[in-house]
Amino acid sequence: MSMATEEERATKAREAGDREAARLWRAWRTVHEMVQDRGYQLSEEEVKISLKDFRYQYSGPDGSIDRNKMKFSADPSEIMVKRYTNLPTTAQPVPPPPDVGRIWVEFLPGDNVGIKQMRNFAQFLSQNSHHTGILITNVSITPAAMKIIPAVANETRIECFMEQDLLVNITHHELVPKHVLLSKEERGKLLERYRLKDTQLPRIQLSDPIARYLGLRRGQVVKIIRKSETAGRYASYRLCV
Amino acid sequence: MAAPKSILKKTSYPATTSRSKDERDREVALYHANLLQERKDIELKILLNTETLIDYPLASKPYDASNPSPVDARSFKKLVQPFQPSDYDSLIVERNINEHCGYSLCPNDRVKDGAAGKYRLIGKTGKAKNFKVVEKGELEKWCSSACAKRALYVRVQLSQVPAWERDITYGMEIDLLDESKSGEDPTVERHEKMDSFTPDDPGKKNATDLALERGDKGVGAKKGLVDVDIKEKDVQRPAQAPSFETEDISERLESLHLQLEGHTTVFGSKRQRRHHEELEGIDEDGYCSDTDWKLD
Repeated sequence: MSMATEEERATKAREAGDREAARLWRAWRTVHEMVQDRGYQLSEEEVKISLKDFRYQYSGPDGSIDRNKMKFSADPSEIMVKRYTNLPTTAQPVPPPPDVGRIWVEFLPGDNVGIKQMRNFAQFLSQNSHHTGILITNVSITPAAMKIIPAVANETRIECFMEQDLLVNITHHELVPKHVLLSKEERGKLLERYRLKDTQLPRIQLSDPIARYLGLRRGQVVKIIRKSETAGRYASYRLCV
Repeated sequence: MAAPKSILKKTSYPATTSRSKDERDREVALYHANLLQERKDIELKILLNTETLIDYPLASKPYDASNPSPVDARSFKKLVQPFQPSDYDSLIVERNINEHCGYSLCPNDRVKDGAAGKYRLIGKTGKAKNFKVVEKGELEKWCSSACAKRALYVRVQLSQVPAWERDITYGMEIDLLDESKSGEDPTVERHEKMDSFTPDDPGKKNATDLALERGDKGVGAKKGLVDVDIKEKDVQRPAQAPSFETEDISERLESLHLQLEGHTTVFGSKRQRRHHEELEGIDEDGYCSDTDWKLD
């Protein structure tokens, strides 16, 4: 009798471990796709890792997935750099360099994320001169810790996601249209063509899930391509606010 | 050909002061921008203070929560001063994340019982009125109930008003529950503080008071929208106390009860009244000498 319960307990623990591993694997896949969609360089093997390989690479000695191992960095591709290149203006004939650089992604273990953890992350990013950092947590971050992000904004750019928000890639959903970030040049041409000021465009919020996925910044314009029954394809543009 | 005269109102009036409109607009914009900047600075200060207080107390062994080191106690009071109760709550959360007791001057770790269950029973022995069912999380914020009391004693003294809207002299003083034991005479400290907040220049103090009365309060409003310049009025003759004039009153005695703050209300225009008086003069002994009921 006791043998049976022992066995049952072991099976239950194993199943829980499997579920946790699958969850983390899905978040890992999504965050890779996200980084790739933003225009950073990642190989296909890295993005399309199988659950088996993932478990093999990121398991700790006890067989469960070790979040401390789950971290990676990526460099922006040429296309991405081009997209962020500033145009010369009359005030600034030599434009400032594009505001992109290496991205660092880290899964944070532990069931509490406070000021300390956030400060450590920010320090790590600026010490290793990572331009952007993505922190993925299992629990929500305290409001006080979120205030660190604007305080260090001139050193490094921090974005936060929760594991549960990354279990599915929202851009793969059939009701989510394709969003494409316009480069500075394309943005200028668009405004010129329609004779608009940027504030006259429809808007998208900075906190919009897609805007967070693409890492949009205030003032950028996205082109949204929808399927249309009458026109085939229909493009609209939104300004990020 | 002369341009036709516009029938529209002139949109711009000649400036009453020497400054141009642009200049005035700029000043107003700057004033509000400074207020916002002040607010941002204070919010950042609160964040940094919270970060500092996570690792408190700095002094070790002989001092503990019931007998904090004077240096720590003083800097704690200073750091916590711009906090609102909500900021204080998030400080407690941050300390708990780092496994410290929620009270900033306590060096102990918080208690954590591994037992399951969401609620705990406290006060199981003794009087029935002390018996309570409390959430486990509430109990695990502190190392002991004494520390909970000390921490909440500080919390209730914090002002609900955000630091950038407070007036400068309000809510400066924060007492600790165990202050008298800390060795230093608290009254001396208080006197020092009071001195430092009394401006040397009485005129400056008056200006501050007036600004407070106008609503230009807070640290951000050092330079308000209105220039306040208090000028003393020179009085040459000696001051005289107001006196009650007795001889005057006998004449006005009849109508005194009708007076409202020195003014007697009369009905109808002057002409009507005169007309009335003439009528009354004609039939002096007539039937309507009493006009109380007739108001017009």
